[in-house]
Amino acid sequence: MSFVPGLGLVRGMALTLRRFFEPKVTNLYPEVPASIPPKFRGRLQLLYDEYGTLKCETCFQCAQACPVECIDMGGVDTKGRYAIHWGPPETYGERREESALRRAGRTVPDPVYEHFHGIDLHAVDEILEGFDHDPKELLGILAAIQAEYGYVPVAALKRVSQSTGAWYAMLYGTATYYDHLAVGAPAAAPGRADEAYLGALDGALSGRGARPDAADDAPAGER
Amino acid sequence: MTNLLATPSSWPRVLLPATDGGDPTDLDSAIRTGAFEALKTAVRAMTPSQVVTAVAGSGLRGRGGAGFPSGTKWRAAASAPEARRYVVANGYGADPAVQTDRTLLERAPFAVIEGMALAAYAIDARQGFIAVRSDAEAAIRTLEAAISAAEETGLIGPDAVETGWPVRIEIRPVQGAYMLGEETVLLKALEGKRGQPEQRPPHPAEQGLFGRPTLVHNVQTLAAVPWIVNHGAEAYAAIGSKASPGTILVQLRGPGGAGIAEVPIGTKLRDLVDLVHARGRGSEPERPIKAVLVGGPSGGFLPPDLLDTPYEYDALRAVDAHIGSGSIVVADDQACIVDLARLLTRFCADQACGKTIPCRIGTRRLSEIVDRMAAGTPRPGDAALALDLASDIVGSALCDHERLATLPTTSAMRYFRPELDDHLLRSTCPAGVCHPIAVALAGRA
Ligand SMILES: Cc1cc2nc3c(=O)[nH]c(=O)nc-3n(C[C@H](O)[C@H](O)[C@H](O)COP(=O)(O)O)c2cc1C
Ligand code: SF4
Ligand code: FES
Repeated sequence: MSFVPGLGLVRGMALTLRRFFEPKVTNLYPEVPASIPPKFRGRLQLLYDEYGTLKCETCFQCAQACPVECIDMGGVDTKGRYAIHWGPPETYGERREESALRRAGRTVPDPVYEHFHGIDLHAVDEILEGFDHDPKELLGILAAIQAEYGYVPVAALKRVSQSTGAWYAMLYGTATYYDHLAVGAPAAAPGRADEAYLGALDGALSGRGARPDAADDAPAGER
Repeated sequence: MTNLLATPSSWPRVLLPATDGGDPTDLDSAIRTGAFEALKTAVRAMTPSQVVTAVAGSGLRGRGGAGFPSGTKWRAAASAPEARRYVVANGYGADPAVQTDRTLLERAPFAVIEGMALAAYAIDARQGFIAVRSDAEAAIRTLEAAISAAEETGLIGPDAVETGWPVRIEIRPVQGAYMLGEETVLLKALEGKRGQPEQRPPHPAEQGLFGRPTLVHNVQTLAAVPWIVNHGAEAYAAIGSKASPGTILVQLRGPGGAGIAEVPIGTKLRDLVDLVHARGRGSEPERPIKAVLVGGPSGGFLPPDLLDTPYEYDALRAVDAHIGSGSIVVADDQACIVDLARLLTRFCADQACGKTIPCRIGTRRLSEIVDRMAAGTPRPGDAALALDLASDIVGSALCDHERLATLPTTSAMRYFRPELDDHLLRSTCPAGVCHPIAVALAGRA
């Protein structure tokens, strides 16, 4: 705090004046790479498309590729299924509108995250024991967990990751990829894609139209 | 169990047993009709490279859809420098509407097992996996019984055909995604990973399952191998078309019936369609054929005047269709092509794995454009945009899925332009299936 009235203003203007006479710098990136201090860690920033929605698809490929596993994310994946609990805010701060809540210090409603706490993992441990904690048997392990709980709880994924040594991002990507596994919360009927397609094909061929079965869902892009 | 269609008796049979009935897992009666004859001959009297030469000389091409020459693949796998190799039989049957592969496994399990053992012998592999859909329970049961019968008799196992040569064959049920039919995706699933395709080369024959050379073949391809060894490569090359000899199982579906038939490759589409398009059969007056969808969810629509096209890999690709899953669907004039194209494109987009941009975003944008066309709410330039996008997808695709996913749209635009224009320009659907918005608003019908 300053006791001299106007000192702050003078200081500010002095900075402006100094910058005004400094040589102008244009980085010729990428021809000339910028010099980056060795401890610089950058900040992940996601891009928005022309409609103002985030381009990130929560596909987890960057998380799987990241060697130090610093990327985590939450949101809805391309198939409209709920994805994951939120990762540490500093990694993907700009992910979804809800993260604004988090930055404001308010709680983010997150059904999946709640499952993360109150779940009994004894069954998962037994399943892991049965598969000898072998990361090559992940699909068998995940199918057994799905059969046991009716879905694949996030907490179970974490446990499988710890005990088999498989990367969590890898596991998460695998579990959400397969239709017969419902991650995070019980799905009404996982793996219905085939029947929906057959029903719609029947409809289309018999003149009833491909609706209302599978094709009636909003197109993926409008979700 | 699925319906086998009656085919002309002049059509040769290689894959499915000529007579129905009897227990397909009864090894003694199978041996009486020649099962495992080829394996014994090969292991006792032929070198592995002679077996490869026989397969190459027969002109056998992959029945998984792409029609890659099998001999080339076997040579690559046999010459890849690795101590351990694998054979994988792709019996997944990705197309939900097609049952051919599981029918083959249910009816002729020993042919597939023997074909795998022959392939293993030819490329010096000791382990084979048969990938099947988890919900194909009958096929899994049949295979289990057949494998254990063959192991007990010592035809496969630690000391196959009493020559000290070990070969083990295991069943691997997989499920959960359409893309699992694609070979690199299938290998990922067998490794317990997320199913996304890999860049080729290296092909699986050089670097496949767990990084080892792996021969991935459709079960029909493998089931033809014993026949080739028994009857000779020339005999096989004489069946069907010159460029791609042999027979293939097709799944037909039309107004006059549906079912599976073993057909020589190169048969005219018209003859195949006749198997299910009731000609004077039944009392219903026959509706005219509007289109034939060849190739499954990513297939192409062909108009009736292209029915003289031979059912053959290259000929079909030239007219914007493909063998694909072996599915042939006859649509009569009740169906709307735009509606069908929209359904197929949406299915393909939904099933795309998400690994690459053409796959993740390209197929989705294409599906949105076709949606707009069907709804009669196209944006200006949508037709040109669809073709442009399709050619970009084809040019930049990582795997065949997104490349082929453009076929429903491009073939519909190529052959059914008048119907498309009705949707685009006049907002009407001639078949009365789609309800383009303008019709409802203006009260026209
Ligand atoms: C989207 C997609 C789905 C496929 N589905 C199957 C399938 O269900 N069964 C199959 O044998 N091949 C399928 N293939 C082809 C395989 O990638 C592979 O070419 C085949 O298994 C190789 O065997 P072949 O040489 O005997 O054809 C599919 C390919 C793609 C791109
Ligand atoms: S999850 Fe990562 S790789 Fe996937 S779209 Fe988002 S930022 Fe890109
Ligand atoms: S389906 Fe994703 S890369 Fe082909």
